[in-house]
Amino acid sequence: MTTEKDIYYTKDIPVPETPPPGEEPAPWKRTRIIGKRVPRVDGYERVSGTAVYPSDVILPNMIHGAILRCPHPHAMVKKVDISKAEKMPGVRAVITGDSPEADLMWPYSGEVRTKLFDPHCRFEGETVAAVAADTPYQAWDAVRAIKVSYDVKKHLVDETEALTSEVSIHEGGNKVGVQTHHRGDVEKGFAAADAVVAASYRSACEIHTPIELHGCVANWDGGALTLWESTQGVYSVQSGVAEVLGMPLSKVRVIGHYMGGAFGSKLQAGKYTIIAALLARKTARPVKLFLSREETYLAVGNRPPANMTLKAGVKKDGTLTALDFTCTGASGAYPAGGTALVDWLIRDLYACPNVRTECTDVYINAGPARPFRAPGHPQASWALEQMMDALAEKIGMDPVAIRLKNVPDISQGRDRPYTTTGLRECIAKGAEAFGWETARKAAEEHNRNGGPIKRGVGMGSCVWFVGGGGPPSTVVIKLFSDGSVNLNMGASDIGTGTKTVMALVAAEELGVKPEVIQIENADTGTTQYATPSGGSKTVPTEAPTVRNAAIAVKQELLKMAARELDAEVSDLRFDADDILSSKDSSQKVNIKDLSELKKRGVVMGVGYRGPNPENKSVNPFAAQFCEVEVNTHTGEVEILRFLGTNESGRVMDRLTFDCQVLGGITMGIGFGMTEWRALDHGQTGKMLNKNWHDYKLPTALDVPMDMTSVPIEMPDPEANNTGAKGLGEPVTIPTAGAIANAVYHATGIRMTDTPINPITLNRKFAEKEG
Amino acid sequence: MLPNFAYSRPRKLTDAVAHLADAKNGRVHAGGTDLIGCLRDGIFKADTLVSISGLTDLHGIEETGDGGLRIGALATITQVADHPLVKERYAGLAQGASEVASPQLRNQGTIGGNLCQKPRCWYYRGEFHCLRKGGGACFAAEGDNTFHCLFGSDDVCHITHPSDTAPNLAALNATVHITGPEGKRTVAADAFHMPPSVDVQAETVLRPGEIVTAVTLPPPPKGLRSSYRKVRARRSWDFALAGVALALQFDGDTVRNGRVFLSGAAPVPWRSQPVEKAIIGKKLDDATIKKAAKASVEGAMPLAKNGYKIGLFQGAVAEELTKIAAG
Repeated sequence: MTTEKDIYYTKDIPVPETPPPGEEPAPWKRTRIIGKRVPRVDGYERVSGTAVYPSDVILPNMIHGAILRCPHPHAMVKKVDISKAEKMPGVRAVITGDSPEADLMWPYSGEVRTKLFDPHCRFEGETVAAVAADTPYQAWDAVRAIKVSYDVKKHLVDETEALTSEVSIHEGGNKVGVQTHHRGDVEKGFAAADAVVAASYRSACEIHTPIELHGCVANWDGGALTLWESTQGVYSVQSGVAEVLGMPLSKVRVIGHYMGGAFGSKLQAGKYTIIAALLARKTARPVKLFLSREETYLAVGNRPPANMTLKAGVKKDGTLTALDFTCTGASGAYPAGGTALVDWLIRDLYACPNVRTECTDVYINAGPARPFRAPGHPQASWALEQMMDALAEKIGMDPVAIRLKNVPDISQGRDRPYTTTGLRECIAKGAEAFGWETARKAAEEHNRNGGPIKRGVGMGSCVWFVGGGGPPSTVVIKLFSDGSVNLNMGASDIGTGTKTVMALVAAEELGVKPEVIQIENADTGTTQYATPSGGSKTVPTEAPTVRNAAIAVKQELLKMAARELDAEVSDLRFDADDILSSKDSSQKVNIKDLSELKKRGVVMGVGYRGPNPENKSVNPFAAQFCEVEVNTHTGEVEILRFLGTNESGRVMDRLTFDCQVLGGITMGIGFGMTEWRALDHGQTGKMLNKNWHDYKLPTALDVPMDMTSVPIEMPDPEANNTGAKGLGEPVTIPTAGAIANAVYHATGIRMTDTPINPITLNRKFAEKEG
Repeated sequence: MLPNFAYSRPRKLTDAVAHLADAKNGRVHAGGTDLIGCLRDGIFKADTLVSISGLTDLHGIEETGDGGLRIGALATITQVADHPLVKERYAGLAQGASEVASPQLRNQGTIGGNLCQKPRCWYYRGEFHCLRKGGGACFAAEGDNTFHCLFGSDDVCHITHPSDTAPNLAALNATVHITGPEGKRTVAADAFHMPPSVDVQAETVLRPGEIVTAVTLPPPPKGLRSSYRKVRARRSWDFALAGVALALQFDGDTVRNGRVFLSGAAPVPWRSQPVEKAIIGKKLDDATIKKAAKASVEGAMPLAKNGYKIGLFQGAVAEELTKIAAG
């Protein structure tokens, strides 16, 4: 238990100065808690199991929902016979496309809306009907008892065949759209090059598959709906549900205090959210509807496959002269950003005057994509980082050196300066910390001895498209009469440590210890508006807002003290829990003794997120280095070690910072080595590996023991008043490309397609032997 | 989600056999790690589950009178992997057991269940009415057969047998002990699994009502060295892409006798007589190992997407022979 006297830090570290109202606070010069290794404020609850996640919610009289999904990748629903299902024990409601209450339009994208239960099923896993029953087992039994007649249509599941296929998924063909970018003159650039390399690359479709399944508990109270949803953004779910159901925002309350992962697949309401609400309304019971693992593989998003070509020109000194990039990606069955941001690294990461990109997004009969941790970036990184190494080899240059040669001065993709860029430091300091040169030489020396185990060292670097956050955000901080604090914000903590970081910000600014801060978050009924936690923007969006709210509290306390001491606010300052006059140190009052505070019981400060700097781009940067061993007998790859450098402005909590880096590398290992969506191409078009065994996530043994996070700390005074930039996405961008480069260094084999595993390596060995 | 079934947990083996024999679709429940998933996914029907966890005679691992070893069918995979006598005398079996699945599954799964488990073909386990489930075709033949067999499909069914212990038991000349309505019988471990050409819907030779009660191993012959090498797509919780179980009797540096079984190769643990032929009577020098590695894929019938196994088996066999030659 924290006792009262423990609330504040000791008096030897000053509380940050309080700016007058309307003035921006100065950057923190020295921090007492920000940047330290602080464990999660909710670590005990999460680890002990007392944290109530949406999937843990049990309400009185609650029943259970389940969804019948189309088993074919492309089919028309002809008839749905629910007569047997309706009569089964425990079944309280069955809804289909014929149910009047389900006659709603679902916005698959801004332009494309379909009926909630659309008879035209364009992907395996599309919703056909839903059931609510007393137990989940009864609900599933009833789902299986529904008889559906389908008119099974020809399907298309290979995105490379989309533009020539006879199958037309939507009227007007299978092209979702083409995005292009041109700058300079690519042909001139190639003409000026001393070496030109061209190659094709492919990254396979990756599925989010977070630990907590997608779903919610829905409960109606009169005309008001409450949803406990596993989501990255309660306000986003609120507006989505209100729109589809035609309800005022005020009548939709969404709660998501804890949630068990998402990686971009829970940024919005799902069809399942609407279906749960409809079932709950029809049965007048709370309905819990969480998808099965299999459903989440089919229907709630993916990182789309990327089929890329990249041609690059370079001068002998390593200067890039031209980059020419194409990509075909697949939105899936509906427009969903099948090539979103996939050319951003080509446009922005390395200095190059002549760039051309063309990205073609197509429809296939598979589940729609959703943003997936750094959308587009790991795909492009897979191509670009391998290309940089190929160019380096061609001109006899070191991979680190060629990248350092091409560090841009500005954000070329936007033609405006970065506020700060640590790209050069990430590469150079990372190489130093990793022991790049020694490791490269040692590996080459090792490989000369001729054994079957080859060693290789590789690296890659990155920028992330955004990462500066921005308005809007509103945060409320309440300080109680004993000096303890309540922090109220709308943002979700998606497992990244948002609550912990925000507690540190409030603690830093108020001088209190983080453990006396109670956090309420992610509830549209009781917390303030926030955008979803995604895009590596939660810290740079919410942290400055929290700081502003804390400052507002301090300003209010200073006003109270000024009245109490009959002094001027401008003469007063904080010293732990005392407020004293700079002019006369005998003029002093303890916060807990402020009579106004005692009377009111609480001081409330409201913080708003200010604007981002104009005409500048706020971006985080990273580089990663790894060493691998390849068994040339078997194609097994063992990653011996990984090191990640990240420049994300100020380090807020060193522990959550390192967790992000190690987690990002782990996910990148999955992208590069173990994960791929297998569709039954040429036969049924169905997904073959929609479970956690056949869809292989990296296990503890696939990830090296030796992983190091090296922060490149450069507080960014222009980005926001905390100096922090985003981190959650750059940590996973360069991983797979770095591994591919290390495998090449070890074997001389370019693994142009993900994943790198014994299957694909043995195929390459066989090709090599002819 | 699960089908409705009757459940019994008898104390006597004869009762278990009787319950099973009386049922229309009876299934034995031991560790349940495979059974529950199969029931949930509707892979097969079950109207009766007979738990054998109450049959105390089926537990335990102990030395037999002749210096061999008896492993009760309910011994967990962890117990097999960790047992000092298994590790000392039948190293290949201990290695095989330690490579099964994940620690949680090894703690729960049993040796009997490991022998009787269902194949992991993603068509068989998915919503595909394949031959093995009584349907009309093998979807793997023309479909995504990345994880399918090189040998023994007989153009019927292209699964690979998923067990890591079975190839080692077969290599080590183990015997499977069975009790059924007709009484007791034994089957050699290398004859326990069912080729698809004989019965595509069965994985073992077990008849209705029969239960595996134990596995016995003969006393280790003089000069025995055994080992198991498994290659998989990820480093844990995964079945073999290719595996090789060796049980070789050395006389000095020369292989006097030996049995070699491959996993990840065929619908049953696959005896590789070409490899045996290449090494028996020979010293395992580089030339012999090279020849043996080549021999391991003799007669292989790769499918569209599993041709990588040709090189992989050769690599794994070469590596393992090199290792076992070194002692």
